[in-house]
Amino acid sequence: MADPTMMGSGYLNSGNRSGGSKACTSPSENYQLARRRTLQVVVSSLLTECGFESAEKAAVETLTEMIQSYITEVGRCAKANCEHTARSTPTLSDVVITLVEMGFNVDTLPVYAKRSQRMVITAPPVTNAPLVPKALMAGQKRIHPAHIPSHFPEFPDPHTYIKTPTFREPVSDYQVVREKAASQRRDVERALTRFMAKTGETQSLFKDDISAFPLIAAQPSSIPYLSALLPSELELQSLEETDSSEQDDQTDTENNASNIIQDDPGADKENAVLPPGGGMPSGKANEENMIDNPYLRPVKKPKVRRKK
Amino acid sequence: MNRKKDKGFESPRPYKLTHQVVCINNINFQRKSVIGYVELTIFPTVVNLNRIKLNSKQCRIYRVRVNDLEAPFIYNDPTLEVCHHESKQRNLNYFSSACTAAVSAVDPDAGNGELSIKVPSELWKQGDEMKVLKVYIEFSLDQPKGGLHFVVPDVEGSMAERAAHVFSFGNQNSTRFWFPCVDSYSELCTWKLEFTVDASMVAVSCGDLMETVYTHDMRKKTFHYMLPIPTAAPNISLAVGPFEILVDPYMHEVTHFCLPQLLPLLKHSMSYLHEIFEFYEEILTCRYPYSCFKTVFVDEAYVQVSSYASMSIFSTNLLHSGLIIDQTPLTRRCLAQALAQQFFGCFISRMSWSDEWVLKGISGYIYGLYLKKTFGVNEYRHWIKQELDKIVDYELKIGGVLLHPTFSGGKEKDNPTPHLHFSIRHPHTLSWEYYKMFQCKAHLVMRLIENRISMEFMLQVFNKLLSLASTASSQKYQSHMWSQMLVSTSGFLKSISNVSGKDIGPLIKQWVDQSGVVKFFGSFAFNRKRNVLELEIRQDYTSSGTQKYVGPIKVTVQELDGSFNHTLQIEENSLKHDIPCHSKSRRNKKKKIPLMNGEEVDMDLSAMDADSPLLWIRIDPDMSIMRKVEFEQADFMWQYQLRYERDVVAQEEAIHALEKFPTPASRLALTDILEQDQCFYKVRMQACFCLSKIANSMMSTWTGPPAMKSLFTRMFCCKSCPNIVKTNNFINFQSYFLQKTMPVAMALLRDVQNLCPKEVLNFILDLIKYNDNRKNKFSDNYYRAELIDALTNSLTPAISINNEVRTVDNLNADVRLILEEITRFLNMEKLLPSYRNTITVSCLRAIRMLQRNGHIPSDPSLFKLYAQYGHFVDVRIAALEAVVDYTRVDRSYGELQWLLELVQNDPVHYIRHKILSMMAKNPPFTKAADSPLCNEALVDQLWKLMNSGTSHDWRLRCDAVNLYYTLFGLTRPSCLPLPELGLVLNLKEKKAVLNPTIKSEQGPGGSELEEEHVVMEPAMSGVAMAPQGLKRKAETPLGSSPEPGQVMQEEPSVKVSVKSRFPTQEEEDIDMETVHDSQAFIYHHLNMLERPSTPGKEPSSVEQPMLSMPGTPMPILSKESMSSKHGDHHHHHHHHHEHKKKKKKHKHKHKHKHKHESKDKDRDSRAFSNSPASGRSIRSPSLSD
Repeated sequence: MADPTMMGSGYLNSGNRSGGSKACTSPSENYQLARRRTLQVVVSSLLTECGFESAEKAAVETLTEMIQSYITEVGRCAKANCEHTARSTPTLSDVVITLVEMGFNVDTLPVYAKRSQRMVITAPPVTNAPLVPKALMAGQKRIHPAHIPSHFPEFPDPHTYIKTPTFREPVSDYQVVREKAASQRRDVERALTRFMAKTGETQSLFKDDISAFPLIAAQPSSIPYLSALLPSELELQSLEETDSSEQDDQTDTENNASNIIQDDPGADKENAVLPPGGGMPSGKANEENMIDNPYLRPVKKPKVRRKK
Repeated sequence: MNRKKDKGFESPRPYKLTHQVVCINNINFQRKSVIGYVELTIFPTVVNLNRIKLNSKQCRIYRVRVNDLEAPFIYNDPTLEVCHHESKQRNLNYFSSACTAAVSAVDPDAGNGELSIKVPSELWKQGDEMKVLKVYIEFSLDQPKGGLHFVVPDVEGSMAERAAHVFSFGNQNSTRFWFPCVDSYSELCTWKLEFTVDASMVAVSCGDLMETVYTHDMRKKTFHYMLPIPTAAPNISLAVGPFEILVDPYMHEVTHFCLPQLLPLLKHSMSYLHEIFEFYEEILTCRYPYSCFKTVFVDEAYVQVSSYASMSIFSTNLLHSGLIIDQTPLTRRCLAQALAQQFFGCFISRMSWSDEWVLKGISGYIYGLYLKKTFGVNEYRHWIKQELDKIVDYELKIGGVLLHPTFSGGKEKDNPTPHLHFSIRHPHTLSWEYYKMFQCKAHLVMRLIENRISMEFMLQVFNKLLSLASTASSQKYQSHMWSQMLVSTSGFLKSISNVSGKDIGPLIKQWVDQSGVVKFFGSFAFNRKRNVLELEIRQDYTSSGTQKYVGPIKVTVQELDGSFNHTLQIEENSLKHDIPCHSKSRRNKKKKIPLMNGEEVDMDLSAMDADSPLLWIRIDPDMSIMRKVEFEQADFMWQYQLRYERDVVAQEEAIHALEKFPTPASRLALTDILEQDQCFYKVRMQACFCLSKIANSMMSTWTGPPAMKSLFTRMFCCKSCPNIVKTNNFINFQSYFLQKTMPVAMALLRDVQNLCPKEVLNFILDLIKYNDNRKNKFSDNYYRAELIDALTNSLTPAISINNEVRTVDNLNADVRLILEEITRFLNMEKLLPSYRNTITVSCLRAIRMLQRNGHIPSDPSLFKLYAQYGHFVDVRIAALEAVVDYTRVDRSYGELQWLLELVQNDPVHYIRHKILSMMAKNPPFTKAADSPLCNEALVDQLWKLMNSGTSHDWRLRCDAVNLYYTLFGLTRPSCLPLPELGLVLNLKEKKAVLNPTIKSEQGPGGSELEEEHVVMEPAMSGVAMAPQGLKRKAETPLGSSPEPGQVMQEEPSVKVSVKSRFPTQEEEDIDMETVHDSQAFIYHHLNMLERPSTPGKEPSSVEQPMLSMPGTPMPILSKESMSSKHGDHHHHHHHHHEHKKKKKKHKHKHKHKHKHESKDKDRDSRAFSNSPASGRSIRSPSLSD
């Protein structure tokens, strides 16, 4: 009994919200209008029951609004109570508690319901409940295994938790991959350099056709050693990537022994990864404070008697 | 110098320096100027010290005070302009001797100096009390061209933000360029150094930083350094800049400095310095002598490494990140060198220039020990072989390198190295190349000494030198003890004989006191009957740069039964040596063959001669003689040697020898070596190149894919798709180096049309295409650069029809592909620069190669842009190399001028030096060939360059001399016009008569010279002594043929000067002098010209009046003297010409002397050498017929 009401009020609510902004005649809208009309009938009959001959439309509307709010509140609270006790369907006791909480004397309800002068309202015309758009079904839903009680929610669609098979096989042929990577890179590089060459100054190797092999003009820089010595960001980036991922598995199984550089490569990397010009880690800085190196000592203030 | 041999050190100065203060108050980066003062504390060692000579170049001296009294001084630097005035004499002999004389005139080791200070007379009265004198000199430097180098990048911001810095540099003792001092390695004193710099900068200098104090305005700070260890002025240095400071995490007394933003690189590069410290301290059993050590990395460095007391200045380009493989060992080597020089070179200094070899030898030797320990025995032996090959090649080509020259009595006559076009008397007149070879030979000789006395004794000797020195250095106030810190040849040899008890006299005599290397030719025959190996070892000791060797030689014979060492005695007349063999030729196939190192291996013996048990023979396997060995043995023996001999030197020799045996067996041996990963990687790299040479010789019979292709595929390409190279993984460095080298060697392959095979080119292009470095933890920039080098190597000359102009349309298809790659690489480099721009460097070389082979139009404009200041130095060098090459090929005068312009004006000293040395290596023309480039203007220009244009940089001056020598030879350049045509005929006649060996005939030329110099540089200047140097040239072999112009040019001036009113002895006064005498002469003039100091005046202005004064009387004197003898000479040549023309040189000389007894020999010989006819070759007599 409470269930449809609650649902209805829910829809009404949302209907009102959206209805305020624009008038529309979608099926769900019709459904809500029908409900409201029923409520108006109820309000009117109650008024008649109380002895009113007539009522202004505004008053009826207001009362309708009030009753609707009341029913909505009963429904919301009942649902809250029910969920509070970890159930999904409200029971009678939920509604009772709700009514009690709202200050309604429940004991008077049976008497009121059975009063003699009550009017019987005809059931509202059946309107089609709005179609809930069906979720995309992919594959067969699984049914509960034996150990799960049937009241538990159903399994969601399999595609949400199981690998979705796609039907285009990715290219895994090594040769093709390399081929593609190489030509992609080459294309990008060529496009980029051509673009740079087109947009900037160029030099040419041929006098007859300046556009044949355009070379980006050599620009002297003020501090040429910086760009020549510091690793580029790209290199640093790829270095980080290499750190996380293992080296190609197709490489030889040669041992790492190197008789040229015996340094721990890990240590080297750590240094190299540091951003250029970056400050020292604080731990290191602390350590250095303890080091007595004349270059780290504070600069002294000039002595007053010292002549410049 | 020789006096010192057996006694202790004797100072050439009449005083002893004990302490010097250097204070630089202001360094202005904007104006590139420096202001400061020095104060020298000296103890006179003579009763009347009235004159103090100090060294100072290019400093402007404001005032000099001695003990607070103003002292007059004279500043004269004869090296500014070696030959004054427009000399017509453009021959190198003349210049070289004048230059030597000029350098001697200010040589602190002879007690001389540019700055002569007169001690106020008030003070020298107290002289006998041996009172301390304090010499205070205020000076400034404005835009110094030498000594200090300012780097001020042209960007926005404060000087610190711009990374502006300044540092000291120089070739040998060049400290005089930036402050007045006694610029000698043998004058030690303690130091107090103060530098006031901007608060954002750091001043790094020698010794301990005592404190840093703000100035009153708090905008600057003063760094106070104390150096309590007695140190020579040339070992003092300074670097100021906004350096980032890194305290070494392992050794807190070591501090590293680098330019802003490079700190991460510095951290990585310095992370192993402590190991080098530990190594040296351990082998020398001696603590590092200074209490601290500083490394400073600067831009635009003069040399990669320079060591000074307790600090070293490095090129910033040595820094690298952990991504870089190739630079790592190079940087470590530089650090190790610098540190070795801290012990020997900085802490222990030398007594005189002739003792330099000991220091260079020891530091080079212990550096070698470090290499052995760090990089392994293979690397060490490979390095020794490389160094030995280098020195042998140099000496055979250029002439002997003399480690310990002795100059008895300072006479130039006994010049120990007549084959050289420069004097080795002074470090400042040495060609750079020669000096490098000198260092190389010095450390090799140290190794020979080690071979003789054992390493243990060797290290004991070093330890003894160091402990003596450190005892002496701690004697604070006993400066006479400090000479213990100077090493001399005799002292070193004495230590060796004391410690080891062995006599190494013969060894020293052979390699140190004498120049030249030994050239052996070996061959053998096996006498089956006697079972004896008959070895024949011949020597060539007549060609230049060689000497005769007598003594033991080790020969190692690998037989079937094992390896046997034999020591043979090389004697005067014995060429043949019989060596009994141990094995019978019957070989047991089952048996393994024992090698030298005890290893036993299976060999396939089918290749060898069935009758002989000999597998291979090696002569002097330990490289214990400075020698070149050309040994003949059969190809299969070389192949066995390559495969089975474990010594890398033997393997390299075998590879070299196999080039001459292009057979399938050689191919197999080389391929096997290439595949063997136990083999030393550098041997394998060499095998690659040998294999490509062999393949080219075997072209017609070669079967299978191109050499190395399948090998490369197997080693570096994917198993599944052999045409694609694996993604890069350089974790194994040996295979990395091999992977880099193989394509480069493969590209040298040629097919029947002498083209690079299509298959190879495509292969290389594929390597480039599929190169993928994304998963590599190292940078692949060197690898990519070598792939470009491979493309370059694949180029062959274009086939062109009637010199058509190269256009895009007629570009060869292969070349188009190559050009695409190069263009793309070069353009990408602009967006993502590689480390040290290696790729740009390779691309530039490739483009030049394309031009040279006629594939694209030859055009230097691209290179000229890349050669501009502001590009990375490696790029500039590569571009300049291309321009130099263009200049030669296209004979372009414009480019030649452009290069010379750069030599004079480029801000980077290293670039200037490189241009000249590259031009000398790849000269636009040589004296042998005619060229339109060779004209009078060029001669003048170069002459000016070496005469005065390079006075601020010794190295550059010597480079210019080298280039001049390469272009024009020793004698007068052939392109000079004949100044007076009227005398041509007359002279021609004469010329035919002239014989260079006859001294008397040289009179005219010589006299003319003297006249010139007396006129132009009267008195003061050291140049006045120039003629003495010329004597040396008398013995110089006269290589190039004479030009008629030479004679004619001289004659007129002689004729003009025929006047005989002037006393001969006067002339002799001037020109007969030895160097010392001429110095006395200068003294004399200095006295005459004594004048009050001129505070604030420029040195040049001081100089001028001095020059002008004596100028007038002199010329007449000298002119006369010459002419008076002129007549005689004529007679003499005719005489000789008629009767003695077939006699040998020295006979002529003898005869001549006989006839001219009345004349001074010195004069004659000098005169001869100066003569234009000195270039007259031996063929002159025949011409006259």
